[in-house]
Amino acid sequence: MSAPAEASRPPRPVRGGSVTRRRWWVPILFVAPNMIVFGLFTIWPAINGFNISLFDSSNGRTFTPVGSQNYQEILSDPEFRSVVLHTLIFVVGFVIGCVLFGTVLALLLNAQRRGRGLLRAAYFLPVVISPVVVGLIWSWALTRQNGLVNAVLSSWGLGKPGWLSEPGLAMISVVGVGLWTHVGFYAMILLAGLQSIPANLNEAATIDGASAWQQIRRITLPLLRPTMLVVLVLATISGFQAFDYIYTLTGGGPVGATTLIVQYIYEKAFQSPIQYGLAAAGGVLFFVVVFAVTLINYFLGRRKGAV
Amino acid sequence: MNRRASRAGDQPGPTDAELAVQDAADRPSVTRTLVTAAPPQDGRRRSWTSSTGRRPPSTSSIIRGTALTAGAICMVIPIVWAVLSSFKSQSELAKSPPTIFPQSFTLDNYRDAVESFAFGRYFLNSVIVTFSATALTLLINAMAAYALSRFNFRGRNFLFILTLATIMIPLQVILLPVYQMVSSLGLTNSLWGLIIPPAATPTGVFLLRQYMLTLPDETLEAARIDGAGEWRLFWRVVIPLCKPALAVVAIFSVIWRWNDFLWPLIVAQDDAVYTLPVALAQFSSQQVIPFNLVLAVSVLSILPVIVIFLIMQRQIVQGIAQTGLK
Repeated sequence: MSAPAEASRPPRPVRGGSVTRRRWWVPILFVAPNMIVFGLFTIWPAINGFNISLFDSSNGRTFTPVGSQNYQEILSDPEFRSVVLHTLIFVVGFVIGCVLFGTVLALLLNAQRRGRGLLRAAYFLPVVISPVVVGLIWSWALTRQNGLVNAVLSSWGLGKPGWLSEPGLAMISVVGVGLWTHVGFYAMILLAGLQSIPANLNEAATIDGASAWQQIRRITLPLLRPTMLVVLVLATISGFQAFDYIYTLTGGGPVGATTLIVQYIYEKAFQSPIQYGLAAAGGVLFFVVVFAVTLINYFLGRRKGAV
Repeated sequence: MNRRASRAGDQPGPTDAELAVQDAADRPSVTRTLVTAAPPQDGRRRSWTSSTGRRPPSTSSIIRGTALTAGAICMVIPIVWAVLSSFKSQSELAKSPPTIFPQSFTLDNYRDAVESFAFGRYFLNSVIVTFSATALTLLINAMAAYALSRFNFRGRNFLFILTLATIMIPLQVILLPVYQMVSSLGLTNSLWGLIIPPAATPTGVFLLRQYMLTLPDETLEAARIDGAGEWRLFWRVVIPLCKPALAVVAIFSVIWRWNDFLWPLIVAQDDAVYTLPVALAQFSSQQVIPFNLVLAVSVLSILPVIVIFLIMQRQIVQGIAQTGLK
């Protein structure tokens, strides 16, 4: 099997193939550990997840094939519908916020000279903090009676809103905490994109008399579009996966107003009443949605970039 | 002609530097060095008394600086507040409106937390999981990256594309089937179950492969001619040359594994194998929340990552930029 491959190989292949007596199984041994872990814990489960979604199991041991029944059930489940709705609201708010604030922040940081390193560190700090702790800190800062936010607001005479107890406000809080956690991450990607834009373009525009705003609109933003697209895609995926900080911030409440899809799948799979089929069907639908939205983002961004 | 050349940035003369001084609101550092090197001759811009030759701050730069600083304070204040509050007494924590600085500085919260919470065990679990998982990730990712970048073999492109494609399949989507796999291998409720399953990371393989592609063929050939076996070559030549890329993967792995919540929450059902985030979440969801203790444990659990972050800040941000753009 390896002999024809060896014979047909050119005398000096491009990379690392110049030793002709190399044994064919050497590279296989090198990839094997990674691929075994990968196969066992990502690829096979992904296939199996689809398989499980076609079965019904109430006790987790006996599985009866039910065809598409789980999908029909989950799609007509009012709880799932509200979860999907809330997830979409969250993702839209989160993604718009990430792209908008991330870009503004990156532009400001890029122009700033003095203390840029320190400012960058401050914006980036929440990214490395455990999401569980993020949720805990904010659940405390947003407490109605003696939280930090309401202390500031009431000292300005703005009252004490129930940030975590009113459904609408709770969603705003969750999006806000998500942005607080992640915006530094996206700002750094955008900052790297900004710094790869050649400086002499702006210098030439300056000499031609373009204002700072004109330069941003006509030069910087068009050239930054590929990076913004990366941020859009990454933020979308990250938004759909939001779970840990929400879990400790609101626990999904009040009355399910901030229960998003990951929490729904987690609860169906691991909390009684256990419904494996529904959890797996939810996972498959989740994947389809994330995949579709990512593709749409990608192609929309590409087409705009081409014009 | 000469003037045009200098405008393009090849050999900027003092005149052009001055032009830039007058017009540009924000300049890259190159121009700035020029300005300091060639101070304005006519003194038109000297209304601001300055010993450094810097331009007076413009209104826009003051607004920008203020906005950035205000924003930065908003980002940091919840963390600073939590850290400061962890030194407050229980009665002061319950106060309304809340205080910023602790009035009576106390370490009681930390003492009580470490005593009542089995903090040591959870901390140790977190340390074991974080470091052995990172070591395992680095080893198997680097091995795979080596094969995918330096060998020609059948199925190489297939494996590489398969690896990339799985970036689209996050753990959250396949929670249940992964758990079933782990449980059928008997890895639940053991630290192995926390360490092994997420060890093969597609981004790690990708990053290391890209880096290894840039290694010169000659170096590897020289070692081969000297009679080094493939494993020796990998271990003694490739790994040392890949230190920068390995460092990036290692930093991210450490931060991610230390903070990870969903996976340990599922695998660790017995509190003997809880990691800090899981223990903290379970602890804080009790009926009566001993908030002073939650606070102290939170601060203790974010301390290591904050220290790592402050030391490695530059590498972390560069790594984000590299991985994010690809």
